[in-house]
Amino acid sequence: MAYDGKDKVLEEVTGKAYEFGFTTEIESDKAPAGLSEDIIRLISAKKEEPDWLLQWRLEAFAVWQTMEEPDWPHLNYEKPDYQAISYYAAPKQKKQLNSLDEVDPELRRTMDKLGISMEEQKRLSGVAVDFVMDSVSVATSFKDKLAELGIIFCSMSEAVKEHPELVRRHLGTVVPTRDNFFSALNSAVFTDGSFCYIPKGVRCPMELSTYFRINESGTGQFERTLVVADEGSYVSYLEGCTAPQRDENQLHAAVVELVALDEAEIKYSTVQNWYPGDAEGKGGVYNFVTKRGICHRRSKISWTQVETGSAVTWKYPSCILKGDHSVGEFYSVAVTNNAQQADTGTKMIHLGKHTHSTIISKGISAGNSHNSYRGLVQIMPSASNARNFSQCDSLLMTDTSGAHTFPYIEVKNPTAQVEHEATTSKIGEDQLFYCLQRGIDAEQAISLIVNGYAKEVLNQLPMEFAVEAQKLLSISLEGSVG
Amino acid sequence: MRDLSKPQVMDRPRKSTQNSKAQEAGRKWVEQLEKQLEAATSQFDEALATLPVPHRRVERWKYTPVNGWWRAIGKRAQITAKQAGCEPCPIPGLDAYRLVFVNGEFDAEASDLPVYPGIVCSPLSLVPQTDQAPRGSNSLEQEDWFAALNGKFAKEGLFLRIGDGISLDRPLLVHHHSTGEGCAAFLRHDIEIGVNAEIKLIHWSTASQPSRGVVNISTKATVGSNGRFQLDKVQDEEGHIQHMAFEEIQQAQDSRVDVYTMTIRGQWVRNDASFRLDGKGAHAELNGIYLPDNTEFVDNHTTVDHRAAHCTSSEHYKGILYGKSTGVFNGKVFVRPDAQQTNAYQQNANILVSDQATMNAKPELEIYADDVKCSHGCTIGQFDEEALFYAQSRGVGVDAAKAMLVHAFIDEILDGVAVHEVRLEVNHRLAEKHQWTEWSDHLE
Repeated sequence: MAYDGKDKVLEEVTGKAYEFGFTTEIESDKAPAGLSEDIIRLISAKKEEPDWLLQWRLEAFAVWQTMEEPDWPHLNYEKPDYQAISYYAAPKQKKQLNSLDEVDPELRRTMDKLGISMEEQKRLSGVAVDFVMDSVSVATSFKDKLAELGIIFCSMSEAVKEHPELVRRHLGTVVPTRDNFFSALNSAVFTDGSFCYIPKGVRCPMELSTYFRINESGTGQFERTLVVADEGSYVSYLEGCTAPQRDENQLHAAVVELVALDEAEIKYSTVQNWYPGDAEGKGGVYNFVTKRGICHRRSKISWTQVETGSAVTWKYPSCILKGDHSVGEFYSVAVTNNAQQADTGTKMIHLGKHTHSTIISKGISAGNSHNSYRGLVQIMPSASNARNFSQCDSLLMTDTSGAHTFPYIEVKNPTAQVEHEATTSKIGEDQLFYCLQRGIDAEQAISLIVNGYAKEVLNQLPMEFAVEAQKLLSISLEGSVG
Repeated sequence: MRDLSKPQVMDRPRKSTQNSKAQEAGRKWVEQLEKQLEAATSQFDEALATLPVPHRRVERWKYTPVNGWWRAIGKRAQITAKQAGCEPCPIPGLDAYRLVFVNGEFDAEASDLPVYPGIVCSPLSLVPQTDQAPRGSNSLEQEDWFAALNGKFAKEGLFLRIGDGISLDRPLLVHHHSTGEGCAAFLRHDIEIGVNAEIKLIHWSTASQPSRGVVNISTKATVGSNGRFQLDKVQDEEGHIQHMAFEEIQQAQDSRVDVYTMTIRGQWVRNDASFRLDGKGAHAELNGIYLPDNTEFVDNHTTVDHRAAHCTSSEHYKGILYGKSTGVFNGKVFVRPDAQQTNAYQQNANILVSDQATMNAKPELEIYADDVKCSHGCTIGQFDEEALFYAQSRGVGVDAAKAMLVHAFIDEILDGVAVHEVRLEVNHRLAEKHQWTEWSDHLE
């Protein structure tokens, strides 16, 4: 069955230059390349950190040195030279900013290009943005409004200074430093990130959001995010990413920790569109992220992600369902095109009684890409009446792409009910035919089918993100059926 | 760096996955084996040294406990089936040819071989090495340490050649019996089935109580175009036998292979079945049931490698876990870039009956072609409360109701077993093991 212009569309799409590929030239304060105790001391000193944090970093560094970079993922990439990376870069202006006018005009232009004009964000969308450019937060909005409710939403470095007791109590409790190679690296060198605390019984009135951007050439980005929802509180947190085009690989090893105390709910949504590299996979961001949340009694953590970018993705947002009646959810759409590779999934660790988890993962592979789902569902002996439902579907667009599923299911309690199902197929010829027959062209039909396929996940996204995500999906995929 | 353009059907044996402690334990164990089996060093020793001795961090052995593996190997009793008090044919009423092996040795007296033009059926030891399939040629042997051990030590087994167009009139039973302490038995079945040929084969393993030892059986079968191969594999070993079975089956165009793996009893059982669909239109059917109790351990590994277009595979494993038993299921389906129009299905369903039973499942799919339909499903749960309630509300006792559910659960698999007598006997032995008075009692 031939579709007119199918190949043309495919070429157009795959040949499309990265839309958000531009570089902002701002002088930056950069540490020399390489990683050593001295560099860590330098980072810590530059950020005026307390001694306990420095010790914590040094400990993590010692652990990291004994660890090996994992090679079990279904990925093929050249391992980064960790001594060739500069671990600290901060925009040079260091003074405290009081209003948007004080922001470097160059920076402002960057934000405009990204479509996150601060004023507009403030006025129209009602989203508080903690804009992170190369490790140091330069502007934070809506802070006062949140402060009225007792909500703390600030950069990590600020939190370390102003709320050390909160940070110290929770930092590293969900993702311990020795958890894995990348989390240990992050713990040693993280430069900044976001911190969020919702007090008891408070329902955060707006979606909290952070835009990450890797900006300085040759610098790794090591974000550290900590969200703590106290008893009975609710927060929806958004994370979105675009990065400028680069020729050398950029490393990103972030750690996100969520703590949902009794009866709290955290909804964490991500749209990730980092530079995926060119058609051969040159350039592109390496994304090695450790995301994990811990659920206490009757709490809920929901991860929603739309992954379209990055050359290499290694990411398993997980939930530890520690408290009785806690709920974990994972909704994911991962799109890979050209030479992109993704090994992503989730871990649901059931410890408490009556814990429930849901996993919906939709993979779409086009071009020569490889898209793997890797997940773990673990029901421990203590988790009576636990329930899990997993569904991972893959859609194949071309005969040179791959879709793989590696689920691990470990059940140690007979009252558990665990279901897993997975399917792999290409876009239905009959579905396409049906659309064509009714006058919908091939490109639109594919967009329609893919959007319908991913709907289950897209529906979970907050409004602001759903629009962006749909746009990303169509950019990444329209007409790319092989 | 790994090549992502085609599947890595086996885990690559990497030096880095070797664990020096495990390596040392393995080497010592091999020395004991060499003594018992009087095996000279061979070219396999070099290959063995490069393979990782299984331990927890070798992905293929992640859920399989090998710590208690290194049992002492003693002297093995060289006795016949008669002396061991073992019935040559364990299946009542079965009319079949048979080969009987006791502790890894062929027992001619208890055997009954088919003699037909076009069929070669004999113990492997009587066949010159040059006529046998070369050792170390199959992928399991090249990648897995225990499978490689079979290549080194196995001298005996079934050698079977079925000529083109021939169909054996009766099933062929291969019965292996273990007895005594510290016995190591290595069997190697070398099977070639010609074009349009057909055979039903039964592998039946038993062990006397008490007995203690290791059984390692490797089956290599190639099935010609439009050939048909049905294999019913039953493991019913009392005592403390560590049973390992490796099957590597290659299928040519339009061939069909059905394998049923039924584990009734076994202290430690690992089945590793690997299918290669080389020709267009081939169909592979893999089914299994396992009902471990007490501290029994059952591990089913399957690999289905779709290499040609228009092939289909269907996989269905069901388990009920009692006592402190542990079950493992790892199914891999690979669809290679050229294997368009593949239709692959994989299903694993488990019921945990006891608090202390554990099930680990890992159903995997790796797809490198786009025009395919592949799906897999996995469930782990307990008896359906509603179904139990339904039965009870109609005056059926809890135990009888559960037996009914068990019956319905495993019959889905057993119904497909090629040889009727095998099916009946498996049912019977399961009832005996789990003290279900009789199937029929519950159904009346």
